[in-house]
Amino acid sequence: MAEAFLMQSQNGQNHGIFVWSVVVIVFLCILATFIFYKINIKKISKKLK
Amino acid sequence: MLTPEDFVQGNSYRIIYLHVPASFISQSLYIAMAIASAIFLIWKVKLSVYLVRSIAPIGAITTFIALISGSIWGIPTWGTWWAWDARIVSTLILFIMYLGLISLHDSFSNHEKADKFLSILVLVGSVNIPIIKMSVEWWSTLHQPASITISDKPAIDLVMLYPLFGSIVGFAGLVTCLVILSSKLQILRRERNKSWIKNYV
Repeated sequence: MAEAFLMQSQNGQNHGIFVWSVVVIVFLCILATFIFYKINIKKISKKLK
Repeated sequence: MLTPEDFVQGNSYRIIYLHVPASFISQSLYIAMAIASAIFLIWKVKLSVYLVRSIAPIGAITTFIALISGSIWGIPTWGTWWAWDARIVSTLILFIMYLGLISLHDSFSNHEKADKFLSILVLVGSVNIPIIKMSVEWWSTLHQPASITISDKPAIDLVMLYPLFGSIVGFAGLVTCLVILSSKLQILRRERNKSWIKNYV
């Protein structure tokens, strides 16, 4: 678990922080966009009804 | 985790599985917008300009992901998060263009005028796509040249290449879902006064 998080390379550097921060940013961006559209579609559908 | 560590870059190279799909799709979305704009200007198909307006925010998000993931990758690889390099600057221009297109369209109260200006500007801005693609060939850049080309053998090992194709397909699927949602919202907004939309809702 710690190994997967730290991602220590053969040169001794830990690259986990870089890789996981990108994963988190991408996940949050896509999730936020998905929720934004879902909420707005629901709102406008309600108005039209 | 399934692919081996890179000999030179270590584990930081794994960012490739999000950076490359994001940058590839950000440019592909702009090409799709340019095609839809041309269809609107030539044949006046309303749906195509709705698509252009729907793709723009998704394109901005994918370009943002490409820029931010590249910056984070740059810290352990280049020792800097930003360089005024041709590839990076042309991608930044693409991001600004996406934001500009959204602002331009929303600034008009007359939808017909907004649609026309948006389509023209998308076509004018499409000149940036070949510049992004060729920037690593035309100028001496910190950014590496393309590892995958149509004519040559890929510069990346197959053990790393196949998962990369998988991540591009997966990312494209996610982006397609977002474009469909965005298009649905755009159609609902623009056609809200039409009788068919009331029956649909």
